[in-house]
Amino acid sequence: MAHLAMATGFILILIGFYGALTNRNILRMIVAFTVADSGVNLVLVAVGYMRGRTAPILDNTVPAAEAAARIIDPVPQALVLTAIVIGVGVTALMLAYSYKLYEKKRTLDITKHTELKW
Amino acid sequence: MVSAIVIIAAALAAEFMLGLFNERWRAAAYGVTLFALGFMAFISAEWVWAFAVYDAQPAEIFTAGVQPPFAINLRMGFPEAALTLLINLTGLFSALYLRRALLEKGRAAMAVLLVFVMAQNGIVLTRDIFNLFVFFELAVIATGGLMLLSEDERAVAAGFKYLIVSQVISAFLLIGIIFSYHATGVLNFDLMRPEHFAAAQGGAIAFFLMFIAVVAELKPFPANGWALDIYESAHPAFAGLFSVASAAATLYAVDKLLVLGGPAWLPVATGIGVVTFIAANLLALPQRNDRRLLGYSSVAQIGLILAVLGQRDILGDHYFFVAGGLIAAHAAAKAGLYWLSGLVASRDIIGWSTLRGHPVLIFAFVSFIALLTGLPPFPGFYAKWELAVALAGSGRYILLALILIGALIEAGYLFRWLGYALKRDKPSEEISCDPSAVTAIIAALAAGWAFAYLWGDLSAHGNILHAVPLLFALSFLLLDWLPAWVKNTVAIVGMVGYFILNYTDYDPLRLIFAVIILIGGPVILLASYDAHGRRIGFYPSAMLMYAGLTQLIGATDFFSFFVAWELLTVGSYFLILRGKHSEPHALSYIIFSLGGAFLILTGFALAATVSPLPMFEALQHLTGETAGWVFLLLAVGFMTKTAAIGLHIWLPGAHAEAETDVSPMVSGILLKAGLYGLMVLMLAMGKQRFYGIDIVHVMLWVGALSALLGNLMAIFEEDAKRLLAYSSIGQMGYALFGLALMNHLGWVMALMFVINHYIYKSMLFLSAGGVAKRTGTRLMYKMGGLITLMPLSFIAVLIGIIAVSGVPPLSGFGGRWIFYNAILSAEHRLPMVITFFSGPIAFLYLFRLIHTVFLGQLKDENRRIKEAPFWVILPQMLYVGLLMAFAIVPGLALRRVDTYLNQFFPEGGLNWEGITITSQFGYWSPVSIMIIVCAIFGSLFAWLMFINRRAQKVKQFNIVFAAERPYRPETTHFAWNFFAPYRKALGFLVQPFVTRFWETIADILHTAGDIGRRLYTGNPQTYALHFLAFVVIVYFFWTGG
Amino acid sequence: MIRKFAALLILAGIAALFMELLFTYQPDPELNTTARYYADRTAADIGAANIVTAIVVTYRGLDTLGEVTVLFLAAAIVGLVLAQGRRKTAKERAVTPAGELLATGSLFLAPLIMLLGVYVFVNGHLTPGGGFQGGAIIASGMLLMLLADPLKHFSHRLIAMVEALSGMIYVAIGLLGIALAGGFLDSHILPNGELGALFSAGAIPLIYALIGLKVGAEFSAILADLSGTEEL
Repeated sequence: MAHLAMATGFILILIGFYGALTNRNILRMIVAFTVADSGVNLVLVAVGYMRGRTAPILDNTVPAAEAAARIIDPVPQALVLTAIVIGVGVTALMLAYSYKLYEKKRTLDITKHTELKW
Repeated sequence: MVSAIVIIAAALAAEFMLGLFNERWRAAAYGVTLFALGFMAFISAEWVWAFAVYDAQPAEIFTAGVQPPFAINLRMGFPEAALTLLINLTGLFSALYLRRALLEKGRAAMAVLLVFVMAQNGIVLTRDIFNLFVFFELAVIATGGLMLLSEDERAVAAGFKYLIVSQVISAFLLIGIIFSYHATGVLNFDLMRPEHFAAAQGGAIAFFLMFIAVVAELKPFPANGWALDIYESAHPAFAGLFSVASAAATLYAVDKLLVLGGPAWLPVATGIGVVTFIAANLLALPQRNDRRLLGYSSVAQIGLILAVLGQRDILGDHYFFVAGGLIAAHAAAKAGLYWLSGLVASRDIIGWSTLRGHPVLIFAFVSFIALLTGLPPFPGFYAKWELAVALAGSGRYILLALILIGALIEAGYLFRWLGYALKRDKPSEEISCDPSAVTAIIAALAAGWAFAYLWGDLSAHGNILHAVPLLFALSFLLLDWLPAWVKNTVAIVGMVGYFILNYTDYDPLRLIFAVIILIGGPVILLASYDAHGRRIGFYPSAMLMYAGLTQLIGATDFFSFFVAWELLTVGSYFLILRGKHSEPHALSYIIFSLGGAFLILTGFALAATVSPLPMFEALQHLTGETAGWVFLLLAVGFMTKTAAIGLHIWLPGAHAEAETDVSPMVSGILLKAGLYGLMVLMLAMGKQRFYGIDIVHVMLWVGALSALLGNLMAIFEEDAKRLLAYSSIGQMGYALFGLALMNHLGWVMALMFVINHYIYKSMLFLSAGGVAKRTGTRLMYKMGGLITLMPLSFIAVLIGIIAVSGVPPLSGFGGRWIFYNAILSAEHRLPMVITFFSGPIAFLYLFRLIHTVFLGQLKDENRRIKEAPFWVILPQMLYVGLLMAFAIVPGLALRRVDTYLNQFFPEGGLNWEGITITSQFGYWSPVSIMIIVCAIFGSLFAWLMFINRRAQKVKQFNIVFAAERPYRPETTHFAWNFFAPYRKALGFLVQPFVTRFWETIADILHTAGDIGRRLYTGNPQTYALHFLAFVVIVYFFWTGG
Repeated sequence: MIRKFAALLILAGIAALFMELLFTYQPDPELNTTARYYADRTAADIGAANIVTAIVVTYRGLDTLGEVTVLFLAAAIVGLVLAQGRRKTAKERAVTPAGELLATGSLFLAPLIMLLGVYVFVNGHLTPGGGFQGGAIIASGMLLMLLADPLKHFSHRLIAMVEALSGMIYVAIGLLGIALAGGFLDSHILPNGELGALFSAGAIPLIYALIGLKVGAEFSAILADLSGTEEL
């Protein structure tokens, strides 16, 4: 199970990067990055999954004493939470910047915004 | 002491509090921002003080009341304290500089700045790898945001590109982190071990991904396009902060990771670092935009420090000293230069000439460039020395060579920039004197000098800034407002006084040099009394050169010798730069000098690791292959300074274009530094073989060829001072030849030479300068017949050329006599013949000098000129007297040297009885020669006077042309192309092969840089592609190697 | 064309890297050191039933603080970026009005969504969810309102106040942790209570509520700024 999720995550990352590297439209690039981010988060969560175990929440079915034998690793989940939020923040920022670039040049083609070079 | 977590908490509190402020209360918000930054700096300073003065222990700061690794912890140790202090202070001064932009944009921008500084602090302090990721993201986002403060319209695009590439990097960082967690079971730096990574499958890749992502944040080559745009278009205050703070923090993060990964990863860091250092410097060569140039330079410096991080294993105790020294130098210099760029209106590096007229700003600019190039007394110099010694000691010669090559390229473009700023015409736009900007710049300047003093105190070799001669030279910076004659008097008194106090400490060999430097220098300085006004910049440079020379002959260990060498190079560079057209020549001078200095550094580093003895003894104890290498490196390095053939192309321009009183100093005194070095080297090491070739034999040939070719090139010159400069090359070749004979008489000749050459070359340069001042030109075909108008100059030149050519009765003859004796007792014939021939060739140009300038027909425009100024004539007459005295009583100087040399070359000495000098081949009686020659001359002169009364005077224009009209007037002047027949016969020997060779090398470097920079196309997808390619390439190298 | 080929080639290299990671990955049979500690000690020390919440808020609270700052930063910069453009007033902007279904439906749905969001972050220490999730839900409610009435004006002042206050109180709680409990962001400044009850787990519910408000406010600010850029 973990391997399947991880493989999917890696494939998503590759697809996302490919899209980001080859699409000229800025908005499509941003969407591609979102796909790649999802892939990264998927990989993060896939690490730490253990077969036959359940979510790390203590309630009637998983009392505190049996927790160590019954739950999966909670740390990657905590890390993923942070990673998702950071990803959202950066995406919002990139969208705002792309609007600004559009406003200046009236084009969303990334190759038209290359005055700074060499 | 306040807990380090308060740094983070205070910043956060301030950021969030800014949200409560009304939009209109911007000034109050700005005040809060400054206060927060100041408070953060204060906490760091408190900790630095505690570590430095009270020897405190590093403190661990726990969060959540739980021990690591189950909660995040921070650490405040000495490196953390120092780095956070650096970051916070830079942040504070940047905020000061950014005042106008921040007030305009409002409290959101101020909050973003606070987050940026806080994030850099977090990167330094944290001990948890995921926490590191969070702080990195904060820093990256804040960087993107702070681009909006720039007035440059392209800044938004730059920020966008930065965000795109950082997304790709953070993806890899996250994957690396999670798999590292899987391999080790913890997220804490201190509890993760290299063994965990080795044991787990895929653990190495996990570490690799983490490592490469953090290294990518350092913007290594070629994955650095995204950062260059930031450097170019950001607000200069922020660019400075970005360069300093993110570099310092990220480097420390890489250091933490390297400890984690184990020694196997150190070579990876070194490899990436060195490649970045050289490539970025190469690509910086064709840059014209000042901020982009500084961006490339930042990338390069960070690459160098990364390489140093990878040398942690061999640096041992010196690790923090070296890495810290480089970071400190980079920080003060880059911040200062970026902040200065905010004052200059033009974005082309040529536009920096607007700084002239603002002495403090020029001084700041020069200090920053010196900081970057690693010149003494700044921390980069100490760091470079320790690094070189450590690398040589561990046998990592190729790495050392690569680093020095990169450093030389860097020096090239930095000094070119300096030349533009000091020499080009001022553009019309004035600089904007923003007081907050100037405050920040002065803070950076003060920090740079404070670091210089601090690193000196920390160094094992003594503080450079404690040396008396150097302090004397630096004091002239403060005295520069005084009129020139006052400073001149102080300089003369100081130098003579120093000599009187110290002359008993010198052995006879060094005493000769000491006299030339400390007494001869003041004699030349007499000519400087002719100057009017204040001559700002002359005295600090000149005294710096003399300080270096003085310290050179007093140096007993490698480090002091090298310090002195670099000091005199820097001083003479600024001195030469003062000439009106000397900008390109000064640049080639400094590049050749620094190249030679780096060779000397390598030689010293090799020798110093073998034994910790003082210099002379250490060199004597070298054996085997090391000895051969050391000898070769040092010999070539010293020969760069004496302008041996092949390394000579800088000299004619530099000496000819220099001012009237500077040319004698550099030609008469400075060239001797190289001879001094060679003397010390050869006395200590004797003859050395290098892979079977006798180096001294090669030097013999080099000396002979220099003598021949130097003199040949001189005879075809039209410019009087260029002629004299080429003559110096020839004369230095002669001296080198004498040294390379390695017998007693050869050395006596060389030393006699040192004294003679000083006297007559200074004298000739002074007269040429005096004549040039009066006639307005240095071209000899525009002069003629000046004997009647400038009789004293004529006498000086006459005596001078008699002395140089070796005609009796003057001292040149004595030198030639000793030379013949030396040849007869040596084994090599052909070089002898060549050197022998260079003698008459020398006479050709000497004759041309006096004939075309003083004899012949007087031109119309020169009819009203007067004799050269009094103060220029006075030293010349002194020299005439000295030459006469030396001719009659040569034993005055040479006797003690002859006896001193007996301990090195026991046979073949001269016998000094009475007034005759005897050698094994014959005798020389100076007094008798003088009497005979004077008698001959006297009688001929009397007869001439007698006949002259019956001579018929012919007027000047009693010449008839035969119907041809000369289109170029100079072709009919007798002095022009004087030696045309010789040119036809021997001209092939003076083809500018060497000049073309060095020019081709410079061209290749420039073209390489120009082609390389096309890598950065401006498209962020390309930059992301660079990063991914970088990851793949390093991965394949790492798995393959 | 070349770009696509180059991208494919390099991504193939990256794929090789990923494959090596994938094929050498073995899930642990038992919880590792850190996870085991959290599994064993959370109930007793922190008193939160949701172990992930305990990690996020208390054990790795500094990360969360950083994360909150990231959002704060993003909102601030989006505001800065878009503030530079022309700000059209309500009269100048011509936008298509929302359909009747959307307009009426949102009147009904928006409060429910807000309520759900509040529920999620208030119960963060008991069930899956927490401040970030709750804040996101609240923001989606705001989004619905924006979609329904594009010219709706949100008080930036109010949003900024909420954001600033919650942030400052959060930092203050963290500092209180140093003074009253074991360290920065220690949740023991309030009593642990009984596992599974609403008022348990020390300061965690309070912190998560603050985070929920802050995140909701920030997302709303971003959305409002972005929607202001819409043109016909």
